Amino acid sequence: MSVGRVVIVGGGIAGVGTAAALRTGGFDGEVTLVDAGEFPYDRPPLSKDFLTGTRDLKEIALQPPQWYDDQRVRLVNRTAVTALRPRDGAVELADGRLLPADRVVLATGGAAARPPIPGADSDRVHVLRTADDADRLRLALSPGAHILVVGAGLIGAEVASTAVRLGCQVDLVDPVAVPLAPVLGPDLAAWLHGLHAKNHVTTLHASVESFTERSNGIEARLTSSTGPRLYDAVVLGVGMVPCVDLARTAGLDVDRGILVDAGQMTSNPAVLAVGDPARVRDEHRAEHWEAAQQDGARAAATLLGAAPPEPSASWFWTDRHARHIEAVGHMDTASDTVLRGSFDGPSCAVFGLRDGLVVAAASVDDPAAVRAARRLIDRRIPADAARLADPSVKPRDLLRG
Amino acid sequence: MSSTGIRVAALDDIPEGEGIAIDKAITGTADNIALLRDTDDSVYALDDTCTHETASLADGWVEDGFVECPLHSSKFCLKSGEVQGLPATRNACPHRVEVRDGEVWLFPGEAP
Ligand SMILES: Cc1cc2nc3c(=O)[nH]c(=O)nc-3n(C[C@H](O)[C@H](O)[C@H](O)COP(=O)(O)OP(=O)(O)OC[C@H]3O[C@@H](n4cnc5c(N)ncnc54)[C@H](O)[C@@H]3O)c2cc1C
Ligand code: FES
Repeated sequence: MSVGRVVIVGGGIAGVGTAAALRTGGFDGEVTLVDAGEFPYDRPPLSKDFLTGTRDLKEIALQPPQWYDDQRVRLVNRTAVTALRPRDGAVELADGRLLPADRVVLATGGAAARPPIPGADSDRVHVLRTADDADRLRLALSPGAHILVVGAGLIGAEVASTAVRLGCQVDLVDPVAVPLAPVLGPDLAAWLHGLHAKNHVTTLHASVESFTERSNGIEARLTSSTGPRLYDAVVLGVGMVPCVDLARTAGLDVDRGILVDAGQMTSNPAVLAVGDPARVRDEHRAEHWEAAQQDGARAAATLLGAAPPEPSASWFWTDRHARHIEAVGHMDTASDTVLRGSFDGPSCAVFGLRDGLVVAAASVDDPAAVRAARRLIDRRIPADAARLADPSVKPRDLLRG
Repeated sequence: MSSTGIRVAALDDIPEGEGIAIDKAITGTADNIALLRDTDDSVYALDDTCTHETASLADGWVEDGFVECPLHSSKFCLKSGEVQGLPATRNACPHRVEVRDGEVWLFPGEAP
């Protein structure tokens, strides 16, 4: 059947990516993008250039303003969708209006997790998911401020690195001794975690038990230390909670995410889900930028009845202490690893191997190694460990065997 | 517009599937220019700085008519500079290139 009107709920990379892929794929019907914010903007800069204040909101817009006219994408901004009405062929907006929709794409993203630590509701305790969060946090990151970052995964490590660059005194606490080890491999993860100390971030191996507001700051009680520590502000970087309320209320299958098939379709064929909140059964949610964009491309293909884009190993980047890190594939499935270059050299990469194939790679300032690995994984090109380890063999040539 | 080309490199200076950056002091353009050699012997030229942030496209992955940015992987058409997908939204500016007798001639500011 032909689809005339698509309503996309949420203007993150997944929602905007869906709209863009629909038009690129030749979709001729109506595309409406509803977003709660002023206009769709990109999220990765929120912990990087946007947090330092180097780039403003307009500079991190996902699309320039005229793109919406050019592509005939109707942007309904500053508006929340409050309910799905698949049976009425519509979605309901906060002001009670109904938007007609033959198909709905849920691209609602997620919210920053706020674990139930006593005292975590203080104004001095920040999270980072939206531009407003970043604006508020920037004010707290003044030179000399004592900042506690909770969680040394991707966002926590980025915030710690940005805060120290802004002149703050930063403690970074995590109960995991080597964060990101399953993703990057234990050696690279340990080295990267150690990079914090070399850049004047104090890493603490502990959990937070409680926060207490004081007249001159906020006290954090950690499991490891004897006395409480006083901070000007705290940032929680402990993960995200997918926005699944609309899906759940509409009776869709939800289990640690909105369950979708390989074409992003939910348990209701009129509703698709993409990006951070979507989960294919038996897989983990990806929670990375490119994965969200590719969900959008797959959803558009489903709506168009077109062939889905070629699948590719999952990939992400992150930046800390002026180093660019990339990772591809699933390092936790590797039985062997190969190091290319050395950790203390200008760049390095780790390849994860299994059964003679590359299954993962991670790099520091060597993106070409990861781009090569991605193609080795996707094309199932047999791995030659000696060549992978040899920095004189160019990444490009690794594909030539 | 007729302009004189600049001999900027030998074809062999650019490995297949890679790029080199030519300094703006040589090209006389606002930005450095990336010379990008596809997986065949064809060479293309685009403004070197990615239109998204600050990556050098000369460090990108060149394959099948496109260059992939080394930072966040936006792809640009080697021939036209047209951006293929986010996060970049603007096209890269292309320049004319000629390869003659193994020498690469660049015509900065001239459309291919
Ligand atoms: C600080 C930070 C840094 C990051 N850095 C990186 C990085 O370096 N590399 C990387 O690969 N990934 C990074 N990520 C992850 C990446 O940004 C996310 O995976 C990506 O944003 C997910 O996109 P999305 O479209 O699924 O969701 P989101 O970006 O969360 O977008 C969802 C949108 O939906 C809107 N919305 C939700 N509910 C409704 C509703 N009911 N009605 C209307 N609108 C609604 C929200 O307002 C929001 O605009 C980072 C994330 C954060 C927070
Ligand atoms: S700098 Fe090129 S895609 Fe971001």
